[in-house]
Amino acid sequence: MTTLIKLEILRTLRNKKFMFFSVIYPPALYLIVAGAADRKPIPGTGLSTGLYYMVSMAAFGAMTAVLLGNSERIAKERQAGWVRQLRLTALPGRGYVAAKIAAAATVSLPSILVVLGVAAVVKDVRLEPWQWGAIAAGTWLGSFVFAALGVAIGYLATGDAVRPISMLVYFALAFLGGLWMPMTLLPQWVQNVSEWLPTHAYTALGTAVEGGSAPHAKDMAILLGYGLLFAGAAAWLYRKDTRKA
Amino acid sequence: MTTTATTPAGTAPDAAVVPVVSFQGVGKSYGAVRAVADLRLELHPGETVALLGPNGAGKSSTLDLLLGLRTPDTGTVSLFGTAPQRAIAQGRVGAMLQSGGLMEGVKVRELVRLARDLHPRGHSVEQILTAAGITDIADRTVGKLSGGQEQRVRFALATAGANDLIVLDEPTTGMDVASRQTFWGAMRRQAEEGRTVLFATHYLEEADEIADRVIVLHRGRVLADGTAAEIKARAGARRITFDLDGPADRAALEALPHLTALTVAGSGSGHTVRIRSQDADATVHALYGLGLYPRNLEVSGLGLEQAFLALTTAEEAAR
Repeated sequence: MTTLIKLEILRTLRNKKFMFFSVIYPPALYLIVAGAADRKPIPGTGLSTGLYYMVSMAAFGAMTAVLLGNSERIAKERQAGWVRQLRLTALPGRGYVAAKIAAAATVSLPSILVVLGVAAVVKDVRLEPWQWGAIAAGTWLGSFVFAALGVAIGYLATGDAVRPISMLVYFALAFLGGLWMPMTLLPQWVQNVSEWLPTHAYTALGTAVEGGSAPHAKDMAILLGYGLLFAGAAAWLYRKDTRKA
Repeated sequence: MTTTATTPAGTAPDAAVVPVVSFQGVGKSYGAVRAVADLRLELHPGETVALLGPNGAGKSSTLDLLLGLRTPDTGTVSLFGTAPQRAIAQGRVGAMLQSGGLMEGVKVRELVRLARDLHPRGHSVEQILTAAGITDIADRTVGKLSGGQEQRVRFALATAGANDLIVLDEPTTGMDVASRQTFWGAMRRQAEEGRTVLFATHYLEEADEIADRVIVLHRGRVLADGTAAEIKARAGARRITFDLDGPADRAALEALPHLTALTVAGSGSGHTVRIRSQDADATVHALYGLGLYPRNLEVSGLGLEQAFLALTTAEEAAR
């Protein structure tokens, strides 16, 4: 099982094109979205635009790489029959899911660090050392939840249907979770829904730290719950999958 | 899942004679297509078995059911007396699927090491590479291999540990004649080590050369099951050809003993007669007894290929 995890990480690192774009995309988006209005505080949050978007774009970028990357790669591997071959080994379902999450985490870590770096250098974001550490760690660990969701989608959908399905899930989660614009600017009903979404809990970890406090227990519990749900579903679907895709 | 297997209750099989593979009244349909129908089959330890059948005979479905990749609609499939998934998790089964892809973006050696590490009783990587004859391509990237090389890598994955059963689905597809011969050597060594080997194939020569038992599938059922020699005998083992001057009395020819097939070609002054017989000596003897004077008489053996064709076409005609 550790061999599979190592091998998945190794081949992700070897996939230079995928690594490059996954790492470049989030900071580029951050610079565009955060724009010039870096000092203006966002209503209801007490955070500046530069600060607010640092967390949401790091989260968004990490989610892009792990969710879209995983779901598409897995659907492709099922189609190629690699998963069928793997199923004929003694590998347990959780081993497969763990390896896929590890591979995704390899991509999401550098992309998160680059967004934080760009925010510090270009947007003059200043935080305490513990805050930088907590934001980086929280955003990275949180990305595992979406990596697991990516694995599950890769199993639910087949062939051509994967991209539209994962895109739909991805945009809906990103928008409703407040990754693109602060929740306080959205209608009340969206805010009510959002509160229970993994994406909202995900960015809330970082924004809480930016505000100088520890992440809220509720957000961590929500993320953990989704994480277990997605990973469990992914492992179950892996074991159950008998289609040639 | 309804179980229609007719295994008598209370007759728990003795551990010494537990079949390696057991299909008890197994049926599987995909929509309206009946892929496997009431399949009964047992493989015993140490056998090398070829699974033959035309396209759509149910070979791949049978292997999928055997490996637990699909669940039967009716009946039960067991490996070593237990569920297929269980036997696989115990590392007792190595399989090479036609539809089994390889992990992209890694080197052959890395993939072999993965298969070794996933196996509870894995061999050493060098040992696996050597046995599969892929030491020379060990540092090549998967995805840049030829079809035949890919097949050998799949074989390496299937033989990465001490399995009791090896299942190979059309293993030599995409190989040239020379590498096919080498591959057969590797398969034979697996059998010599006491493993049960089951392989599906299109190449009848392969079945003839390696298998000590041949199972012919047709429309999801076992059409014939025996040694290659028995299958040939069943299909009408010998072919008799001769020329006749003058008219040929078809009815008299058809009445010849042990005859299984007859064709008469030509007209008027000369005919060529082709007979298939299960006992060529008796047929030829009776032929002379008819008072005929056959010229250019030839008696030849039937290859497994012709035997197979004879069996399946006869079955089609009988429907």
